[in-house]
Amino acid sequence: MMYVLALISEEGGMQDASPEEMKAVMDRWDEFTRESVDHGAFIAGEALQPTESASTVRIKQGEEPVVSDGPFAESKEQLGGFYLLECKDLDEALEYAKNIPFQDGWVEVRPVMDFTEMGYQSYSPGPVKAAA
Amino acid sequence: MRFMLTLIGPEGGYEDITPEEIKAEMVNWEAFGKEATDAGVFLAGEGLQPVDTAKTVRGGRDEDRIVTDGPFAETKEQIGGFYLLECRDLDEALEWAKRVPIRDGAIEVRPVMDYESMGYEDPREAGATPAGGS
Repeated sequence: MMYVLALISEEGGMQDASPEEMKAVMDRWDEFTRESVDHGAFIAGEALQPTESASTVRIKQGEEPVVSDGPFAESKEQLGGFYLLECKDLDEALEYAKNIPFQDGWVEVRPVMDFTEMGYQSYSPGPVKAAA
Repeated sequence: MRFMLTLIGPEGGYEDITPEEIKAEMVNWEAFGKEATDAGVFLAGEGLQPVDTAKTVRGGRDEDRIVTDGPFAETKEQIGGFYLLECRDLDEALEWAKRVPIRDGAIEVRPVMDYESMGYEDPREAGATPAGGS
């Protein structure tokens, strides 16, 4: 079963980081990602650019979509990244979640909808590779 | 460039849905998935089960991790799904976002961090070593 791990935390905190601190942080995330790849769990995962880079599209059927600058909600805690992992069960997904190497934050773990059981096609092409 | 499209909206609205209505909805989602795949932009995308299936893990590296039932926030609007798309630029990502077949909600579009341009190797690269070597 696939699970989404949504990584939620306060933005910022790395502006004044030294190159050594940045490297230490990157190494921790690399280790997490690498482990999930080695265990065959990794399907996708990305860090997101800060919310100042966000745009939000409001959609309502029957109306024109409306694009605005900024994230969906101007809250202190924001989605900073995610992982999509193939896990045996929720317990395995939670073990990954407990190992997310951020300093402080929340990991919301949710199973994905499996529409193939209802006879619908999945377009998931398997693990997402590194950017070309 | 990779963009994350986060699908946000009020949960529910499906309690009395008929099989025909489900089929009509799914036809739209399948069409979007197929279009995005045929266009070469689709990297990943999933619908999420409702937040009553969620668990939230609180904490960090130097703290105990605490698992609680439920989503991060008990808000009316929740994340219902996402797409990860490979697009030329933000404008293209926004065009795709406008066509996501949600009935009533919002799509937050954000570029992903490009660590490789900062000199870091992607840990998914075969044989990649951590930044700066091992």
